[in-house]
Amino acid sequence: MNPDKKAYHERFMREAIAMAELALRSDETPVGCVFVKDDEIIGRGMNETNRTLNGTRHAEFVALAGILSKLPISILKETDLYVTVEPCVMCASMLRQYGIRAVYFGCWNERFGGTGGVLNIHSDISVDKPYPVHGGIFREEAIMLLRKFYVQENEKAPEPKQKRTRELKTEISPMDIHAPKK
Amino acid sequence: MSTLTLSPASVDSRLSEPKTRFALPSRPSRHMLSNCLRAMPLPSRSEHLIVDQPFLFRCAKLFNSVISKAIPDLKTNDFQHLRRVVQFKFLPPHLQKTFRSSKGGVVLTEDPSEEDVAEQDDTVRYFLVSPSKAIQHAALVDAFRQNPPWCESKASPRIFYVTVPTFSPTSSEQAAQWSVEYWPITYKNTNPYGPHPSLVARNVAEIEKDAGKWLALAEKAAEQVYSQNLGERVGCVIVDNSKGRPEIVAVAADSRWRNPTGEPETKNDGPGNVMAHAVERAIAMVGKKRLRAVGKDPDTLDRKLFCDSPLTDMERRYYELDNLPSNGYLCVELDIYVTHEPCVMCSMAILHSRFKRCIFGRRMPYTGGLTADNAEGKMEEKPKLGDGLGHGIFWRPSELNWKLLAWEFTNEEDKENGKISDHTPNTLQA
Ligand SMILES: [Zn+2]
Ligand SMILES: [Zn+2]
Repeated sequence: MNPDKKAYHERFMREAIAMAELALRSDETPVGCVFVKDDEIIGRGMNETNRTLNGTRHAEFVALAGILSKLPISILKETDLYVTVEPCVMCASMLRQYGIRAVYFGCWNERFGGTGGVLNIHSDISVDKPYPVHGGIFREEAIMLLRKFYVQENEKAPEPKQKRTRELKTEISPMDIHAPKK
Repeated sequence: MSTLTLSPASVDSRLSEPKTRFALPSRPSRHMLSNCLRAMPLPSRSEHLIVDQPFLFRCAKLFNSVISKAIPDLKTNDFQHLRRVVQFKFLPPHLQKTFRSSKGGVVLTEDPSEEDVAEQDDTVRYFLVSPSKAIQHAALVDAFRQNPPWCESKASPRIFYVTVPTFSPTSSEQAAQWSVEYWPITYKNTNPYGPHPSLVARNVAEIEKDAGKWLALAEKAAEQVYSQNLGERVGCVIVDNSKGRPEIVAVAADSRWRNPTGEPETKNDGPGNVMAHAVERAIAMVGKKRLRAVGKDPDTLDRKLFCDSPLTDMERRYYELDNLPSNGYLCVELDIYVTHEPCVMCSMAILHSRFKRCIFGRRMPYTGGLTADNAEGKMEEKPKLGDGLGHGIFWRPSELNWKLLAWEFTNEEDKENGKISDHTPNTLQA
């Protein structure tokens, strides 16, 4: 990626990270996203699975529910997604059905990533047009947010979960992201 | 025949898990006999390492001691159904071909005659080592190299990767078939290491009585919204079958053609409101019912596009029933019945929601996310469009963080009478 392009993508990923930080402050798994059309942000979203008690309320859904209440679906063909964590299999399929132009993400999702982390829903055979993905933009920041969330959750737990805390120190890969807590 | 050393990648054929069928116990009622719940095949691609031993090293004891030293925590119980030591002539034909065409490491005469090859084949034994995940290729080579005959030889052990059935077969016929298609299999009638067939049978027994009824209800729900031009003819019903008697928790139809103001949207070649697929709507209703059960306002984060409020009297009736406990979690212990095989998005939504079981009506080979095989029951690494996508999203426990049981339900009686009236296009994302 050339420096100009890099700066361009990082600008929007910063905004996605801001949404993830908002999620963290709201006791939600810190995943955030923005949708960008013609160099402008047309919608923002953060994970809301805990508040809604609905394991499918991922940042991508939340943002699109806002965008598509005002704009037609067809604009997504000229729209890119910036999301702090790789879209899961569900969101990857949704984005492809909607015809998203491209997806930029921070860290990979090794539990249920749909654009390379586990499956390749963006490029596998399908009736819908494939889309390109670019991962690794501010990957460390995205992971740090997830780690902070698990530390925060552990501190709130009545009994310290020793084992989990130990895991946090050694494991840098994203953990059970997206899933609402019990 | 040329001599070449195979790299693991080139022999990694990844055949995938063979299709599994679970026969239903016969029932007295004709109707029940004519209905068929077919368990979805599992997509598990479990891969095993095979090493050949052409020389003196035929002693299984020595082999076992090398392996147990190299992989101390190997659980051989997990693959008890796979034969551990196999002669060339008992290998499936495709493996004979692969193994014979790769005599790497084995010292052969320049141009061996047919008899030489045959003799060689006869003396070779193929040892099944372990799942390929259990040990690194190089570590395994090292382990063998420290022992005879490899420590005295310049040749390297040949290691192959073969894809094998993850689970025990459910019948001797299946064992025979798998032995030809994958790897020699043993079948034990009382196999304690194959929890899967019995698990499936137990679950079929629990759901088969009412499955047809719930699917008919899902169809009716779909029809009501479809007739208002608000969606495609896809519907689903969520049932709690954990308390002895089944209870309907939510009913929802597809409403992808309902625009944000609640009016029918002109159908176009676009996808419509993807977030309003029946499965997504029903799951959202469960979440809202749970919020209500803990005394929270289910409408605080309401967004029109999610279409998670009831659209018909029938949807409303079940939405308003307070029949979920306040301490429940997502859709744990619940079953979901869908008129069509859910699309990839909805399949993963079902998995995210931790459902217990999914039963669907029509299989959707172009778009369905649950099925792992194609219409002929084959599983390809790279499927053709329309042959089934092969994702098998209900059961990939080593990759995805939840698994559930899934069935395709076909009413044979209706099929015979030509009563299938579903004109939904093949390419619809259900
Ligand atoms: Zn997602
Ligand atoms: Zn769907």
